[in-house]
Amino acid sequence: MIETFFGLGQLDSPAGYFAALVLGLCFGFCLERAGFGSSRRLAGIFYFTDMAVLKVMFSAMITAMLGLAYCLALGWIEPGSLYFMPTVYGAQVVGGLLFGVGFVMSGWCPGTGAVGAASGKLDALVFLGGALVGSILFNKLFPVIKPLYAWGESGVLFVYDSLGASKPAFVLVLTVVAVGCFWGAEAVEKKRVGGGHYLNSPFLKTFSAVLVFLAAALFILPSAPGNLAGASAGESGAGRAGAALPARETSLLQQIESAGDHMDPVELADRLMSGEQGLQVIDLRTPDEFKAFHIRGAVNVPLSQLPDYLAPTRNEGIVVLYSNGMTHPAQARDALSRLGFENVYILTDGLQGFMDACLKPASLRSEPLPAEMVSRIDRWRRYFTSPAETAKAGAETLPPLPAVPLPGIIPTDWLGENLGKNGIRVIDVRSQPEYNTAHIPGSIYLSVDSFRGVVGGLPSMLLPAEMLALHLSHMGITPSDLVVVVPGGDKTQDATLVGMAFERLGHKRYEILGGGFGKWVAEKRPLDNRLPQITPSHYPPVGNSDTFTVDYRAVLKVVREGGGIILDVRPADYFSGKKSDEARGGHIPGAINRPFTEDIRKNESFSAFKPVDELAAAYEKLIPTKATKVIVHCRTGHQASQTFFVLKNLLGYTHVLYYDAGWTEWAARPELPVK
Amino acid sequence: MKKNPLNGENMNPYLAGVLLGCTLLASFLVLGAGLGASGGLARFAAALEGFVAPGHTLSSEYFGRWGAHPLHYYLVFMLLGTFAGGFFSALQANRLSIQVEKGLKASPRLRLGLALAGGILVGFASRLAQGCTSGQALTGGAMLLTGSMVFLVCVFAGGYAAAHLVRRQWND
Repeated sequence: MIETFFGLGQLDSPAGYFAALVLGLCFGFCLERAGFGSSRRLAGIFYFTDMAVLKVMFSAMITAMLGLAYCLALGWIEPGSLYFMPTVYGAQVVGGLLFGVGFVMSGWCPGTGAVGAASGKLDALVFLGGALVGSILFNKLFPVIKPLYAWGESGVLFVYDSLGASKPAFVLVLTVVAVGCFWGAEAVEKKRVGGGHYLNSPFLKTFSAVLVFLAAALFILPSAPGNLAGASAGESGAGRAGAALPARETSLLQQIESAGDHMDPVELADRLMSGEQGLQVIDLRTPDEFKAFHIRGAVNVPLSQLPDYLAPTRNEGIVVLYSNGMTHPAQARDALSRLGFENVYILTDGLQGFMDACLKPASLRSEPLPAEMVSRIDRWRRYFTSPAETAKAGAETLPPLPAVPLPGIIPTDWLGENLGKNGIRVIDVRSQPEYNTAHIPGSIYLSVDSFRGVVGGLPSMLLPAEMLALHLSHMGITPSDLVVVVPGGDKTQDATLVGMAFERLGHKRYEILGGGFGKWVAEKRPLDNRLPQITPSHYPPVGNSDTFTVDYRAVLKVVREGGGIILDVRPADYFSGKKSDEARGGHIPGAINRPFTEDIRKNESFSAFKPVDELAAAYEKLIPTKATKVIVHCRTGHQASQTFFVLKNLLGYTHVLYYDAGWTEWAARPELPVK
Repeated sequence: MKKNPLNGENMNPYLAGVLLGCTLLASFLVLGAGLGASGGLARFAAALEGFVAPGHTLSSEYFGRWGAHPLHYYLVFMLLGTFAGGFFSALQANRLSIQVEKGLKASPRLRLGLALAGGILVGFASRLAQGCTSGQALTGGAMLLTGSMVFLVCVFAGGYAAAHLVRRQWND
């Protein structure tokens, strides 16, 4: 097993410098020998006069690729000892295009420019001066172009995975393509400038055959590692070293299986408070989110810079990663593990988990707590929400947590007290004329219809998470914001539909204003008719938080096999089939009807949800237990969002599902049964 | 075949490529990282800026990450080696000569102007893409990394798109 300087964390040591110097010598020598000390020759590829760049570069790439593939397959080197560069699609596309233009203008690239300058080319010297200026320019512009630098950040990606091919198959195809290019290049040279000396030569034929043979042999290699790998003892216990997983991958998978890569929020809180040396907590969210709130002691590092950031303290102490969800930290941890970082953990349930487990005040917790736990929570809250820390981070205050569950219904007096505070955002879902006339100061207008559209041919579907995240970004909302949604009149379902968007994004910090705009006005609270100033944010489209939306197949399964309740929340006349504005009238067989309007009480000046006890008593009669599977639906998913909110967030039903396509789809599919 | 003395003595490009590939492979196996040139160059840029305005460079977001000694980095030494290796090879092949390489009909000013402008673009783009033809395209290509392949394709796309506009510098 070969240990590399990178693997040992000694790339930047005197021995590493010496090795780099020697390799640089060979590199420079090869480039000059290939004739790359001449810009004219390099530029030749762009005018089809001299294809040397293609021949040399492809030969080199294929040679190193095959060599590395063999070394990996034979277990001579572990992937963990190699530095793999992350893929950043946007930056690499834009960077590549700009680079290409600069390359053809100057006739040089950095490596060949150095060789050219060393052999006396003044244009190469000028080029290198320009490249220094360009680097400095990049540094100067970095604050502005940072989004581009990280645009399309995807971690370490292998091209065969991206294309869904196997590694040996891709290697073979690439080798054949390269050989094809060699022959093509010779033919082009012959035609254009009378060159192409190697076309049909015995040399090129042999060379091509050897490369293709070596590439093809990779297919059979993993089946016989024992005799080829020789006496490599110990680690090669993974057996089929090549095709099967290298030892490091296997241990990574084992760790993932046993959740040995997780750190519990409570454990993290205690270890941070004890001031443990060598414990690094890294926040992977955006700088804005970090600024708004972060775990005390955490540092903000963008994903792409993580390996560089951690390299100096490689495998020393413990590193804990967190973000809003678990996806990014988990991907980062896996990538780091492949890069040889073995001390990286992810925070269980992310920042939200930390909030819920450690920072949620004891008074707001539904479960009874022993006194000892209550005092621990108080200690955590004092330590992690102390004003000193948040002030240092540049934020005014932590978004105050309301004394009601999240998500839920928030009273107008709470909003009145906390309006305008950092991290609190108000969304008004009334009609635009109503909003324009007067609204709660600072609130943002939102037409709920902009959250719905045609998805897969079905009308009025809640949009996919990425599109919802984009909408929220334009509204300047971040995942750490506490969002209060304000309905108007008796249209509570408009607010709950916005709530469904937050549910889909896994954004738990949202509330519906109790009594809506009507109650706010009735209480003579402040109003405004100016439009708010919005700075767009970056709302990351967090992975798969939507585990509740179901399609007709899931509903049909309940119809046929039972095991749940189908709750149709449309008005009774539509349920019975007396009225219909769809392909067919009636309802899904076995469904029960509880019109959504039953959950709302109209007062003189506003409408509001009925008291929770009253709602609980009503639904107890319809649904046997809180854990029963309930599928709610209406015609388009609008009214059903309200019942969903009531069941899940107000009454604590744990298995509520949402048939968004609803009666519109069911009625239009003649094969589905109707009653 | 002695028209252009630079061309005449070049090595078989395929064998030169294999030699270069072996160097790259050696770099993988010894360093654990591939070859690179722009990274070293950027370190020199940071050192240069740091020499002129030390406080400013350290507090800047990008160069600042490299600390007070940006030259303490393996790619800086690799770049020095590349210079030296190129020099030895050119010396041995009798190709050392001070000149501006250009087409016969093109003025040195045009050629040097384009070299400078191209250099600025290349320096900027290598930072953006986190590598150049060596560190990103060749190294990452041999490692079969998606981003590096994308970069390689885009380099040629950009080059061919602009080739016609700057061809005058090579007119004979």
